[in-house]
Amino acid sequence: MDNLYIAATTTSPEVDFRFDQHALSLKGESYPENAAAFYAPVIEQMRKYLAENAGAVITIDVALTYFNSSSTKMLFSMFDALDQAGQSGSRVLMNWYHDEEDETIAEFGEELKADFGAIEFTDRPIIYQGR
Amino acid sequence: MSQLLDQDSAFFDLARRRNVLFYHKGYFSHNIVAAMGEVVKLQLEVAGVSAPTRRKLFSSFVELSQNIVHYSSDALKAGGETAGAIREGAVCISKDGEHHVMLCVNPMATAEVENLRNKLEPLRNMSLEEIRQAYKLSLRSDTPEDSKGAGLGFLTMARDASAPLEFAFHPRADDPGTTLFCLMAKI
Repeated sequence: MDNLYIAATTTSPEVDFRFDQHALSLKGESYPENAAAFYAPVIEQMRKYLAENAGAVITIDVALTYFNSSSTKMLFSMFDALDQAGQSGSRVLMNWYHDEEDETIAEFGEELKADFGAIEFTDRPIIYQGR
Repeated sequence: MSQLLDQDSAFFDLARRRNVLFYHKGYFSHNIVAAMGEVVKLQLEVAGVSAPTRRKLFSSFVELSQNIVHYSSDALKAGGETAGAIREGAVCISKDGEHHVMLCVNPMATAEVENLRNKLEPLRNMSLEEIRQAYKLSLRSDTPEDSKGAGLGFLTMARDASAPLEFAFHPRADDPGTTLFCLMAKI
């Protein structure tokens, strides 16, 4: 199936899903006007890919610097789909990038880790020089 | 100059006395929220506000302004499949001693007041730990039918605020079907 690429805007993240390489990436800020409308097609494509690639080793890099409440909800269901793939035989590796000082995003990572046992979660705090 | 400002000087004086960093009253579209967000973020950075506080302020700003875009009862345009909504309200960020105060006001249907009050009132009596638990619960539950967002917005604000959220409802004397909803978060 085709890869999925959506360029970032001020209020929506870059979506770079290279299905052919089993490498998914989300990067940027997320507070689109309608989070459900933005994420629903992305999640749908991802589900299709997961269904067609059972048993794959999938890496997802998440480097979101801000997401609003409605995006939070959509991200949670996206990661739920990955967790289900993990439970049915795929291997899902998630790199969770965040500013080391950003407690909110670090805590959300902890929530994901607690809830989605089939995702191999790696916390990747970024330390900025000169602070 | 003085003549030009005469009628409006009270407004500017008040804004200065109250340490207003940012104020917008009028119609809110998604583009306006994005543009204001950019300026608010930069302003707080230049003012030397710490990164964690900046993030909390920005987050509350986005939740409050998007609430206006989605829920204010005064719509210039309701928004649909392809075009976004534009609705009326006001957002004000000011500094009060050590804290920042974020205030938003928008008109709503008086018939909806009790429903909204029932959502907000319980948050006032919850400890931060209880708010965090409610947030976790809400994250995992289905989106309420009357919500265009996630129903998580108020919990997000309550979690980031340094005091319980304050709110008030002012029915409009000239239009009893409409009530002004005010929400204040201290950060």
